[in-house]
Amino acid sequence: MTKKTRNFVLVSGAILIIGLGTGLVASYLGLPVSLLSSAAGPDELQYVPQNAAVVAYANVRDVMNSEFRQHFRQHEPSSQERNEFLEKTGVNIEQDIDSVVAAFVPSSDPSSNRPEKSAVVLARGRFEAGRLETLALEHGGSAEDYMGKRLLIHQGDAPGDAMAVGFVEPNLVALGGLEAVRQAIDAGSSNRNVMSNNDLMRLVADLDNSNAWAVGRFDELAREARLPAEVQGQLPPVTWFSVAGHINGGLSGVLKAEARDEAAAQNLRDIVRGFLAMARLQSGSRPGIQQLVDSLQLTGEGTTVALSFNIPSEFFDALEAMSKAKPADPR
Amino acid sequence: MKIGFWGASRRVFDLSLGEMLWSRRTIFMALVVGGPVLLALIVRALDVFGMTALRVNGRAIGGIGVFGVMLWMLFLRFIVPVLAVFYGTALMADEVEDKTLTYLFTRPIARGAVLMGKYLAYLVCTVLVVLPAVMLVYFLVVPFRDVPGTFVSLVTDLGLLALGLAVYGALFAFVGAFFKRPLVIGLVFTFGWEPTVMALPGYLKQFTIAYYLQALVPHAMPSEGLTSLLQGFFRETPSLGLSLLWLVVYAGLFLWLATRVVERREYVLEQ
Repeated sequence: MTKKTRNFVLVSGAILIIGLGTGLVASYLGLPVSLLSSAAGPDELQYVPQNAAVVAYANVRDVMNSEFRQHFRQHEPSSQERNEFLEKTGVNIEQDIDSVVAAFVPSSDPSSNRPEKSAVVLARGRFEAGRLETLALEHGGSAEDYMGKRLLIHQGDAPGDAMAVGFVEPNLVALGGLEAVRQAIDAGSSNRNVMSNNDLMRLVADLDNSNAWAVGRFDELAREARLPAEVQGQLPPVTWFSVAGHINGGLSGVLKAEARDEAAAQNLRDIVRGFLAMARLQSGSRPGIQQLVDSLQLTGEGTTVALSFNIPSEFFDALEAMSKAKPADPR
Repeated sequence: MKIGFWGASRRVFDLSLGEMLWSRRTIFMALVVGGPVLLALIVRALDVFGMTALRVNGRAIGGIGVFGVMLWMLFLRFIVPVLAVFYGTALMADEVEDKTLTYLFTRPIARGAVLMGKYLAYLVCTVLVVLPAVMLVYFLVVPFRDVPGTFVSLVTDLGLLALGLAVYGALFAFVGAFFKRPLVIGLVFTFGWEPTVMALPGYLKQFTIAYYLQALVPHAMPSEGLTSLLQGFFRETPSLGLSLLWLVVYAGLFLWLATRVVERREYVLEQ
């Protein structure tokens, strides 16, 4: 074998070995998605622990500026409470918060019955750290540093009830149970975060043009909800779900579910199809509602079931008209 | 002293591998295999600029779908049979045409070992070109986030391509050793007989290699919108085990026939 031939064999073999090795490592060790391709989703995901069961995102700025929100503004309660909050914290929710990421991390303790302690909210915006710390200390809270990040802690009545606010970046705060906030900081510093969770990131990557979404494991969520066995038995055999919406004048989006197998998916599609047919019959001649029902489209193949919807602003007009047309309560 | 069959095959393999790799056919092979890699680069560039390379019924096909289509349409249905035809039929025919067969046959080795060594050189040569090309196409087209979920399919695909090259190669090695115009017969078989018979109902498709190779297709088919469309063509498929068995039987049978022909045939070199 000549040197030229040997070099060719070596180069070809190297391409194969590197390719197979990369695939193997990515499959079995879970390389971070961001390593070789741009990661999907917002930057805040780096603070979401790897084992998160549900992740949700909302572009607060988009939603606040949307026509949809303007539509409902007139029905909002008095702004007195909001003003008080602004006065105390210096945070104007409408203007100072750009986006929010919320994650639910299943508790490692199966006997724990406080799922809210397993949630963490990451809010990006403009915050006055000093003012918030003073406020926390005035109200009996404490402050400490954890992995170089400032934590404001409010101890609850029982041990393990502590809530915390962590300043993880200059314009990013993490809120939630003390343990959950610490886990978020750990996830950010160790790079073992949800971006290495390929199953969940696959769902995040599939979302496009959405300013609010949620993805997660349905079975995990149902388990954490600790529903009665009878109710659990009635739940559809769904493993993963994703809901993505675009809020502007109206509300459009798609709800996707991944069933355990193709037969379960087919059953679920049949059930949804039945509901859609019933909704079409019921919608009658009410134009706003009929438009909503007509926009519902069931798609999906294999184990996937997808229901897309488009709620036009006329639907909300129709709802408003219906509520106004309701006869006064005789009592 | 006569060398054993496999020892002789190895010597012929050593000699033939370099010859095959640096022959004029390599340019053809580079063009054929380089095409999909270039196409994958274009797909990647489109993706970088936020454009979609492939749409079916207005729906964008994801990276793994594009890879699936490229693999089946370009590699399995075109590149593998074409490379096998051009290389396989030339294993003995080239020696006859160049009038160098005498030098090989006068060596103290079994005549069949000449064919076997050349066949192994063809297999290594094509596998070392086709599989790395598929690997490059895969990593160019499929987003990295999809690698964990599709890696097993890629390994299946690579195995399938190697098996295809082995079976088609054995068939065309026999055609090259037995017939006078092997290239024409090979091309007629690949682009005439196989597509025609595969499209017809009945048992004739069992006399093709594509029928058994395509039976392995659903295990690695693209799982997006094109699935149903492509699988529609491959509905009548034998089981996985039966397909593998027949492919191995075909490869062994044609290789054995080819060595028998080379052992017994009286080659007359035209002056």
